[in-house]
Amino acid sequence: MSGFVVEMLGIEKSFNHNKVLHSVDFYLRGGSIHALLGENGTGKTTLMNILGGVLKSDAGEIRVDSAPIIMHDTSVSENNGIAFIHQELTLINDLAVYENLFLGKELKKNGILNKSEMVKQSRDILEHMGIDLNPTDMVSELNVSYKQVVEIARALLRNARVIIMDEPTASLTDIEIDNVFSIMRSLKGKGVSFVFISHKLREIMLIADSYTVMRDGRVVADGAVDGNVSEESLARYMVGKEIKYDDVYSPRPLGDTIIEVKGLSRNREYRDINFSVSKGEIVGFTGLLGDGRSEIFATVYGCNKPERGVVLVKGKLTRIRSTSAARNNGISFVPRDRKENGIVKDLSVASNMSLSIIDRLKGILFISHKKESQSNQVYVDSLHIRVSDINVLITSLSGGNQQKVVLAKALGPKPELIILDNPTQGVDVGAKLEIYNIIIELAKQGVSFVILSSEAQEILMLCDRIYVMYHGEIRRELSRAEASEENIMILATGGSVENWGRAL
Amino acid sequence: MNKVKKFIGGNSALFAFAVLFILAVVLKGSTFLQLNNIVNILRNNSIIGIAALGMTLIIITGGIDLSVGSQLVITGLVVITTINATGSIALGVIAGVVTGAILGGLTGLLVSKCKIPAFIVTLGTMTIYRSMSQYLLNGGGVMIKGPRADAYITISNANLFPRFPLPIFYWMLLAVIIYLFTKHTPTGRYIYAVGSNEKATLLSSINVNRVKIITYLISGVLVALAAVVETSRLGSINSASSGSSYEMDAIAAAVIGGTSMSGGRGKIFGTVMGTLTLGIINNMMNLLGVPPFLVGAVKGSIIIGAVLLQKRLNESAA
Repeated sequence: MSGFVVEMLGIEKSFNHNKVLHSVDFYLRGGSIHALLGENGTGKTTLMNILGGVLKSDAGEIRVDSAPIIMHDTSVSENNGIAFIHQELTLINDLAVYENLFLGKELKKNGILNKSEMVKQSRDILEHMGIDLNPTDMVSELNVSYKQVVEIARALLRNARVIIMDEPTASLTDIEIDNVFSIMRSLKGKGVSFVFISHKLREIMLIADSYTVMRDGRVVADGAVDGNVSEESLARYMVGKEIKYDDVYSPRPLGDTIIEVKGLSRNREYRDINFSVSKGEIVGFTGLLGDGRSEIFATVYGCNKPERGVVLVKGKLTRIRSTSAARNNGISFVPRDRKENGIVKDLSVASNMSLSIIDRLKGILFISHKKESQSNQVYVDSLHIRVSDINVLITSLSGGNQQKVVLAKALGPKPELIILDNPTQGVDVGAKLEIYNIIIELAKQGVSFVILSSEAQEILMLCDRIYVMYHGEIRRELSRAEASEENIMILATGGSVENWGRAL
Repeated sequence: MNKVKKFIGGNSALFAFAVLFILAVVLKGSTFLQLNNIVNILRNNSIIGIAALGMTLIIITGGIDLSVGSQLVITGLVVITTINATGSIALGVIAGVVTGAILGGLTGLLVSKCKIPAFIVTLGTMTIYRSMSQYLLNGGGVMIKGPRADAYITISNANLFPRFPLPIFYWMLLAVIIYLFTKHTPTGRYIYAVGSNEKATLLSSINVNRVKIITYLISGVLVALAAVVETSRLGSINSASSGSSYEMDAIAAAVIGGTSMSGGRGKIFGTVMGTLTLGIINNMMNLLGVPPFLVGAVKGSIIIGAVLLQKRLNESAA
């Protein structure tokens, strides 16, 4: 009738007197892919949690196929064919892929588990998705991107008609994203609808039929993704002001070599790595997931020993065998997977921020809390960290602000080189741009950066020089002028760029 | 209302303590509230109280130490034999503390550098220390002897001022020191960070192994000090019975006090309250004349109940 499979009308929600949704209307057409956009903390996830039955709305109505339903828990949502794939994956690492797919809905024959049938159905669905994955593999052996794929397969296996995906592509490579997208398109053809929560505007332009933009708990724009919609216009709705990506990069004078790596190898992870970074330079390392770049810098940062090769810090042979030694050699690290490696969840914002330098903020015996809060305040101001009380738990901040806190922690020791691994993972456009500007600003002041990222756009926006990796080796070094999204992608997938008339 | 909930949730150890305290007053108020009885509870639990401080630190890092009771015996043995041999109390105490530090540091080394789970390491050391003590003392005990015996016994049997026995003072003093350590020193903060997210702590340029070794070392020293209090209180140590199940009481005190067994969370004040809660439970069973063989069952049930109550309170506050 209305053509909408889901309608949410006048949804309101407050947490402790803090109103996060103001009479929100949300419509999802059957057989469509609908993008839900907004910066972190604007209420997108809350709205979808209400649709998924995880949270209860204070007011408003939810209709599925025009019939009002009372969403009192997740089972109602599930029975109505709504599946929610959360940002934090819910797979059980110590079970096989097929066991995860059928978790709670195991197939049985004569009272015992029917493994062969479950494996067969799992294989069918994975094949159908075009994913090369063995159903009997353990989930613990998969990388994050495959775990995401298994989550999607699980929703499909349960005949979901509406699949909500909260930033599904955050940890996927471009090729895997393409795979997921083609699956989404083919499922759309079969009448499945998607709500696609993402910060990646380019992807939204690629995949979405329609969009809703939220800001501060309100819908500020919605409509079809057609000729009138562009990445810029969506970004403008989200932040409420104009942003230009091209403005980010800025050339600056480079100094002496800060770090030089020669012949670094750890057999199974990476081989014969040679590179250097100058003072004030921003160097990018890109490639597909699992290309070994994170492992190289785990070694450089002192988490493990190289089997061969040397690291020279300012021309001096330096053995960095612990992370504290790395700090003392002027190196800081912002790891990937903020939740797993970045934040300490039981500590406050303040304690997280000062963790890397608290031993330097000491009187004779005790921490000088005055020095600590002064130091923290500098970063709250300069990084524009939005926090009302710095002593609340770090987990109460939005993703972008958490990432800024992790960045502040890395800046604390006043490093000369900062390694950033996936620095804007799960960070909204506004905060992303802020982080980019901070990086450029610091580089102007003479801080050197190594940026590890699978997002070619990010690398191109920031870096002076780019190393493209493939299977644990540096495939090629590109200058800023040479690099483009296309040649990075070709090199990262093992291709060569000789047909441009340039010998590799 | 929310504020009240929050307060109770944040101080659930205090609340659990209050519930038992009120229960004790209601059931046996006339005896329970006598000053002598209160002083007794405090004094009798000071040894566990001191050991529980170290246990709390260890549990906050995500570890555990099952060897506390055997460590107490072996350090107590070192203290007494050293005093008996040299006639110097100071030397004895120093020898005990050094032994405690070495044993604790060793545990820390095995847990951190060798990456053996703390449960396994301390399960091993628990047996080793007890067996060594029994071997050295031929299965029996050793008494404090010689000219310094009386002076040594004064350490735990004298009063700081009337009706305030010294062991209570030692316990409170150490609790304050450890509290300051957790709240106001970098290492104190690292202990929480390691227990909450070891990887993120390592990647914040912190030497995680060092933090763990220091934690077990501090606990070792605290156990040695508890051994001094114990041996000077009794004038002897017994290789078979002394310190038996102290580790369980110390763990129970920390957990009742709100320390999370998965690490990252816990408060020294909570552990002091937890120790007192245990103390009241023991005392009540005495006063109510619970048959000795049933004491364990009642105590165990109350511990589980207290932790359950706390969990509820924490959840309602969250």
